[in-house]
Amino acid sequence: MAAVEIVTPMTSDDAVATLQASAPGEAVVLAGGTDLLFDLEEGRTAPRRVISLRRLPWRTLDWNGPTLTIGSTLPLRTVENDSDVRARIPGLYEAVRAVGSVALRHQATMGGNLGRCAPASDLVPMLLALDAEVDLVGPAGERRLTVDQFVIGSRSTALQRGELIRSVRIPEARPSAYVWQRVRPFHDISHMAVAVAFSPSRSRWRVAISGFPPRPILAPATEDALHGPVPDESALGHAAEALARHAPIVADKRASEEYRRQLVRPLLIRAVHSVVPPPGAP
Amino acid sequence: MTGSMRPDSTAKLAGSVVYGTDLDVPGMLWGALVLAPLAHGRIRSVDLAPARALPGVIAISSADVAGLVDGAHGDPERPPFPSEFITYRNQPVAAVAAPTRELARAAARAVRVLADPLPVTADLEAVFPEWPASKVVDPQLVATHVHARRGDVDRAFRSAETVVAETYRTASVHQVALEPHACVAEVTAGQWRVQSSTQSPFGVREDTASILGIPEESIVVDGTWVGGGFGGKGASFLEPYALLLARASGRPVRLALTYREEFLLGRTTLPAVFRLETAVTGGEIVARRVRLLLDVGTSLPGRDFATGYSIGFLLGPYRTPTFEVEGYAVRTNKPPFGPHRAPFAPQAAFVAESHLEHVARVIGVDPLEFKARHLWREGDRTPFGQPILAFGLSQAFESARATAGRWRKEAPSGHGVGVAVGFWSTNTGAGGEARVQLTPTELRIVQGEREIGSGSVLVGLAEVAARRSGLPRDRVHVEYQDTAHAPYDAGVYGSRTVGALGRAVDRAVADLLGVLARRLGVTGPVTLGVEDNEIVALHGSTHRKLAELLNEQERSGGGIVAEGKHYGKGGEIDESLVLDGAFYPYTDFTGAAHVAEVAVDRETATVRLIRYAAFHDAGVVVDPRTATAQVEGGVAMGLGTALTEEAIWSDEARLENAGLVDYRIPTLGEVPPIEVHFVEGFLGAGPFGAKGLGEPPIIPVPAAVAAAVRDACGAHVTDLPLSPERLARALKLL
Amino acid sequence: MTTPATRLTVNGRPAVLGDVPTGERLLDTLRWRLGLKGTKEGCRTGGCGACTVLVDGQSALSCLLLTHEVDQASVTTIEGIADDPVGARVRAAFDSAGALQCGYCTPGFVMALTGLLRERGRSIPLEELLEDLGGNLCRCTGYATIVRAAQLAREGAP
Repeated sequence: MAAVEIVTPMTSDDAVATLQASAPGEAVVLAGGTDLLFDLEEGRTAPRRVISLRRLPWRTLDWNGPTLTIGSTLPLRTVENDSDVRARIPGLYEAVRAVGSVALRHQATMGGNLGRCAPASDLVPMLLALDAEVDLVGPAGERRLTVDQFVIGSRSTALQRGELIRSVRIPEARPSAYVWQRVRPFHDISHMAVAVAFSPSRSRWRVAISGFPPRPILAPATEDALHGPVPDESALGHAAEALARHAPIVADKRASEEYRRQLVRPLLIRAVHSVVPPPGAP
Repeated sequence: MTGSMRPDSTAKLAGSVVYGTDLDVPGMLWGALVLAPLAHGRIRSVDLAPARALPGVIAISSADVAGLVDGAHGDPERPPFPSEFITYRNQPVAAVAAPTRELARAAARAVRVLADPLPVTADLEAVFPEWPASKVVDPQLVATHVHARRGDVDRAFRSAETVVAETYRTASVHQVALEPHACVAEVTAGQWRVQSSTQSPFGVREDTASILGIPEESIVVDGTWVGGGFGGKGASFLEPYALLLARASGRPVRLALTYREEFLLGRTTLPAVFRLETAVTGGEIVARRVRLLLDVGTSLPGRDFATGYSIGFLLGPYRTPTFEVEGYAVRTNKPPFGPHRAPFAPQAAFVAESHLEHVARVIGVDPLEFKARHLWREGDRTPFGQPILAFGLSQAFESARATAGRWRKEAPSGHGVGVAVGFWSTNTGAGGEARVQLTPTELRIVQGEREIGSGSVLVGLAEVAARRSGLPRDRVHVEYQDTAHAPYDAGVYGSRTVGALGRAVDRAVADLLGVLARRLGVTGPVTLGVEDNEIVALHGSTHRKLAELLNEQERSGGGIVAEGKHYGKGGEIDESLVLDGAFYPYTDFTGAAHVAEVAVDRETATVRLIRYAAFHDAGVVVDPRTATAQVEGGVAMGLGTALTEEAIWSDEARLENAGLVDYRIPTLGEVPPIEVHFVEGFLGAGPFGAKGLGEPPIIPVPAAVAAAVRDACGAHVTDLPLSPERLARALKLL
Repeated sequence: MTTPATRLTVNGRPAVLGDVPTGERLLDTLRWRLGLKGTKEGCRTGGCGACTVLVDGQSALSCLLLTHEVDQASVTTIEGIADDPVGARVRAAFDSAGALQCGYCTPGFVMALTGLLRERGRSIPLEELLEDLGGNLCRCTGYATIVRAAQLAREGAP
């Protein structure tokens, strides 16, 4: 790594051009660096060129009515410290707090997390439940995809050659919650998680689950079963059981399939109750 | 800074303490180990040429060693590098040194190791499929066998009312000190000198001499401050490689492990399987059988101390007149077994305590009542015939029971409270020596150990000297010197520092006071005090300034010098019980009883610690703050063994979780408030009756947590760690 | 490849570093180039927190930062933290709580806690403060004395 070239473009056009000019696998993109330097230390990658995004004007957080746009190189800690995020999209606050540690979140970015696209990413399931979109910039110009379209699998996204994530757009602040399960409460990988959000505009719940390969997924059948802003407890229970039974959950080195399926019901119910307390709750 | 409780606090908070990883010697090269790419194989070639082709790189392997040590012959069973067989994955087969860290890594990667694969032995139980074992799959894989029996065990079992038999399994755990192993070696003019982060400079010297075949006198080990040991830095490890590289290059060489290598090469506790059978009649234990199967990795036959040492802990601190114990240490293609904090005792206590609790439940007796009936009391003998003296475990146990009773009444639903006991043998047998120097302003203790963190060296030894002499502690300073200058000491391990080295210090001070008595012309005790900022010798109404009692030479040469030694004798067991192998006699017993309160989430099968209490039979507590800190730290470490720590080995003896991401040690949020209580008055063998505390606190923890979990949700887990998956299975959720 | 002279302010003083290899981490620049060994080398993968420093006043994992990436930044390490009133208070709290044993994790904890208290002061709920320290590992103390130090430092914060 000592001999690697580091390029620090000042504009997104420069960044795109440099990326496109690099042969496949020759260059990596550096945002916060928390994943990249981990991979370098473990010897998982040995690029010839690093394209640092630190000078690009993408460290932004903008509210426009109900819509939140987060620049892809904004440190996660800034998102977490935004009082509007905490108040208006509590699930996003919870998901961001679940990532690594405070020091790590001073460096780690939304774009980096999406680009790395880990099956156990804490941000991706929440962004799915928020119907978030990614704004990409590339040689052919700009395009927008939903996060669901963007995420393919571990380290695999819909980014085409020369494309970069410029920002993440959350169209609508929603009551939301992110509930995870890990072996340790802090600084651990979630082997199962549920993100829920209620869309006021569509009057519909969005549910995503994550933690297992290949990628976090939305659960439309579950969403259909949760009618209205205050789901019926019995319907919620049945929907949870159905999701536990039918979701495409698999085992990996962190947890077995059976244990993950066991977690679905309590996590989904707790997530929904975190947004809408159950009847009789204090 | 005022208010420092420890003499090393200021320097550590300023970041000015030099650990092994901080060593920086002018002209230093960076070393790296070349690690075997498979777990078992016959070496065809180790091609160093691609590494040597890189600029400034030195590379050595087996063929180079003889030349580097001028033809000396080291222990043939422990060559630095293997010449014929690779016996564990990542076994060091060569080493390189280069001008930079990156170049050293590149050079290590460039070395080509060719080996013909041989069958890999990874799974303990695959070698040993039958219980009890009358034949193993391959007798060559048995490193050690121990067997002992007292009484007619078979008849006792046949005639018993109830027999309860269980199998337990425990996982491999790592020490995980924050500081990886690191050293810097330099060889000049026949002196082989290494600075190293180690718990035992003299141990490293002895071990290195044995491995390289060079005389101990030509080796100097200079210990650095240590960033955590926990048993993992108690013997030589990197030093022989670093010295060989230094000799080969003519330069100082820094050799440290990456954190990943710490896990991959770590010498530590490996998996174990336990089979326990207990025969009960009329609510009393009439006979017990214990079988132990230990994975000792690549350990040499007869060289693992674990089997004969651990097996006694499986019977627990309970009266057991009729018993049979049998243990096998089995070799697998993993790194050699090495000591972890209280080696195997937390696992053994988990097994012993959980089993007896289970037996009690089967026969319908309250588990704590059942245990109380059989718990060792002063004057009892261990199963191996050793007298139990000055043992405060029953007091600790009763206090724990009372606390547990209170907590259980207060606990909301979903919570459980558990009690467990453990005992330990503190290693005060291993010897040590110290020198003390008294000047008009201070008492200096000159010795050969570095402070590894517990405070036993900087605080414990100073406290012993202060108490013996009467001086305030701020007039006592502990000084470290390397193996060329310091008197010998066995090492900071086995909870022996205050007990053994402390006794040497105590004797040295007593000797010093004797010298002063003679100079004062009195018989009877002399103590020291401070007046007008100077040290004075006191006896009755006599007090004289020390300066007046020194001779010319002492005045200019550093004061009065006295020496003390302690070489204890080891314990003895009733050898007539031994049918095969060697059993390690315990000495200097200390006991502990712990209480854990947990909350169990029955849906996710997760365990949360709510609060914890530890009652320790600590003899006389020489320094309450560092003693409390040891208990707090040991309990936290035990929580990791109990709930989250597990080294996962594949069928190919590959370590799957070599890193902090998937080898999970406890973080701040998981350790509950811990009440620490000391049962005093049962005087240990250490100075003023002190008993070692470095290891005992970890021992009862997994057992206490398991008992609390059982109380909370009825799940009886027979595996460690008590992970969510295992608890989910025990709760029949899966 | 190296970068044009990388400039850092370290503990209040400018450090012109000259030829820093592009792949060099801030941790190694501080320790081996500037001789500031107080920042510790633990796992080198962001998992233990021993390498925590402040970059422009905020906690950062120096093992995961390329020195090149923090060109022009102001870096504070344990050697300089006493010059900061919050940092001095944190150090004093660790000292009086006896919140260290081997001391290897200590600089990282002091920097992490200082960063948090500088940011939020006494207004940060204690529970959140303790959660926020979860990225720093300790193997010796069991965290009990560290929790006390954090409480003391927080009480004394503005």
